[in-house]
Amino acid sequence: MAPQAVPDAPGGNVPPAIRASGLVKTFGTLRAVDDVTFELAPGRIYGLLGPNGSGKTTLIRLLAGLTLPTAGWAEVLGTRMPSRQNLERIGYMTQADGVYTALTVAENLRFFGAVFGVDGDEPAAAALAVVDLADRRDSIVGTLSGGQRRRLSLACALIHRPPVLFLDEPTVGVDPLLRVEFWAHFRTLADAGTTIVVSSHVMDEADRCDELLFVRSGRLTARGTGREIRARAGTTDLEQAFLRLGGDVAVTR
Amino acid sequence: MSRRRVAAIFRRVAAEIRRDRPSLALLFIAPILITGLVTFILRDSQAPQVTAVVVNTAGVRGQLVGTALGAALQHGGVTVSDVADEAAARAAIANSGATIGIVIGTDGAPVSPLTITVITNGLDPAGEAAQVATVQRAVLSAAGNASGTALPAILHTTLYGTPSDDPISTFAPAIVGFFAYFFVYILTGVSFLRERTGGTLERLMATPVTRGEVVLGYTLGFGLFATIQVAVLILWALGSLHVPALGPLPAFSVGLGVAVNGSPLLAFLVVVLLAVGAVSLGIFLSTFARTELQVIQFIPIVLAPQFLLSGVLFPVSTLPSILQPLVAIMPLNYAVDGLRQVFIRGADLGVAALQLDLIVLAVVAAFFATIAALTIRRDVV
Ligand SMILES: Nc1ncnc2c1ncn2[C@@H]1O[C@H](COP(=O)(O)OP(=O)(O)OP(=O)(O)O)[C@@H](O)[C@H]1O
Ligand SMILES: [Mg+2]
Repeated sequence: MAPQAVPDAPGGNVPPAIRASGLVKTFGTLRAVDDVTFELAPGRIYGLLGPNGSGKTTLIRLLAGLTLPTAGWAEVLGTRMPSRQNLERIGYMTQADGVYTALTVAENLRFFGAVFGVDGDEPAAAALAVVDLADRRDSIVGTLSGGQRRRLSLACALIHRPPVLFLDEPTVGVDPLLRVEFWAHFRTLADAGTTIVVSSHVMDEADRCDELLFVRSGRLTARGTGREIRARAGTTDLEQAFLRLGGDVAVTR
Repeated sequence: MSRRRVAAIFRRVAAEIRRDRPSLALLFIAPILITGLVTFILRDSQAPQVTAVVVNTAGVRGQLVGTALGAALQHGGVTVSDVADEAAARAAIANSGATIGIVIGTDGAPVSPLTITVITNGLDPAGEAAQVATVQRAVLSAAGNASGTALPAILHTTLYGTPSDDPISTFAPAIVGFFAYFFVYILTGVSFLRERTGGTLERLMATPVTRGEVVLGYTLGFGLFATIQVAVLILWALGSLHVPALGPLPAFSVGLGVAVNGSPLLAFLVVVLLAVGAVSLGIFLSTFARTELQVIQFIPIVLAPQFLLSGVLFPVSTLPSILQPLVAIMPLNYAVDGLRQVFIRGADLGVAALQLDLIVLAVVAAFFATIAALTIRRDVV
């Protein structure tokens, strides 16, 4: 499937949705995130790529303000993180499912809706429709399949229609058909102005992103559209590019 | 602090407990079973069956005493028989069902006073102490009979309640307090640990929810069930609903029928304050546990000392002085005391001792709620 049309990079007058400056997070001697600086424009989908343990989840947690940086800072929609207020404008789908297995699908959605101040059945119904779980709304989550739980987890991140979405490997365990629908939905959201940062290990998904950020050992090693990345790596295969750029020095812009 | 977010957490926690049938059973049925059993044990334990063998090694003087003692023992329901010497007495205890041997002798010199040596098996110190006490009473009454002047009887009266009160009336308050603490701690600890390990806490922290809202929501959710549990337990302890005989079924009564001299509502308040502290303690300790098993493993450290040092089993006043400072910081201690003030003394809110108990329990609950909120890790200020 051909990648969607990529909007042009924003001009100087559009403020970035997300900014990171010199972000560092260390755990003991390990530099899980190491001096990451970037600006991400609103209404675009950014793919975060990198091997296991390269710091993707930690970077997302820093951006969402769930952990304090050792150095540097992060800003979302003009507000320095961490900021609890700002969390109302952020949706975070964690790498673990993070849903209540003793509750039903509908109860999970109602709960996360309520903590975000979203009432009524309409937002829950809309979120359920996106992940195609409407027929399971009264099932206990513990009885769902792994992929179905993953879908519920995504629905919980969408319930309050946040302008910024962090999705940590959202499609793990999701079947190919639904995966395509997910990405179509992400595109719809982005077109409506939502900024999406999505980590993934799947290269055909990476190709659907407007821009890719390569992370290795906590460092941002490359950034660009799929086409640019391929050109830079001198290959037509994104997977090859991933392997080649894995060890590259930072090429940020 | 947002009311609707607290309400959302409260509703969620309550829904989770409601779905969890085994835990509900643990909450409601287990305490009733155990208090029922304890009551049965304390009230209906049988008087020790004493079978004595008597040996006289002190000649005529001993003969006289032996006869008087034997009569007094038999009067007290003891089976008495004579044997030739101490070896025979020991053999009778070892082999033929005698429970106690009584050796009447002298410590040597012909005019020295008589001694009575009591021999018991030694395997069951508590049970045998009761038998020795039986012998002592028999000696006293024999002495009274011999001297012809009745010894003064000892009468016992108490400030609160009566000395002949059902043992369960002091025990029931302790048990009610302990169960509320125990079950609320386990359920909260395990449930919050799931929140940490299941990734839902991480997710919750990515919402506008504050730590205080989480602790409050949990306290309300578990508090609700603790409240119902305590209400059921207190009703069970105080109630005695007689069910008449029906066909082949004998008549029986539901409830322990413990007398309460104060307001059950005050008793209720004491236990609810205790339980609120237990919710926060569960949240706090779940920080240090990585698995549900580890939450259970904290019980010997956290709950067993409270059980031992709070007058549930051993009266606080008899505990070694070195342990007294520990006693002073055990929340359960104040709950047990508060409940006894209400159950037995009939204390109302004007009684200083009860006021102290309530204040300490409230402070402890607030303290643990604060540290629980602090341990819900979130770098966001
Ligand atoms: N709380 C923590 N304490 C100690 N080390 C941590 C902690 N969180 C992450 N790390 C370490 O930081 C590094 C980056 O972890 P992170 O979870 O960000 O990787 P990732 O890119 O998301 O990996 P994956 O693709 O497997 O999800 C890893 O080496 C990990 O062990
Ligand atoms: Mg990760």
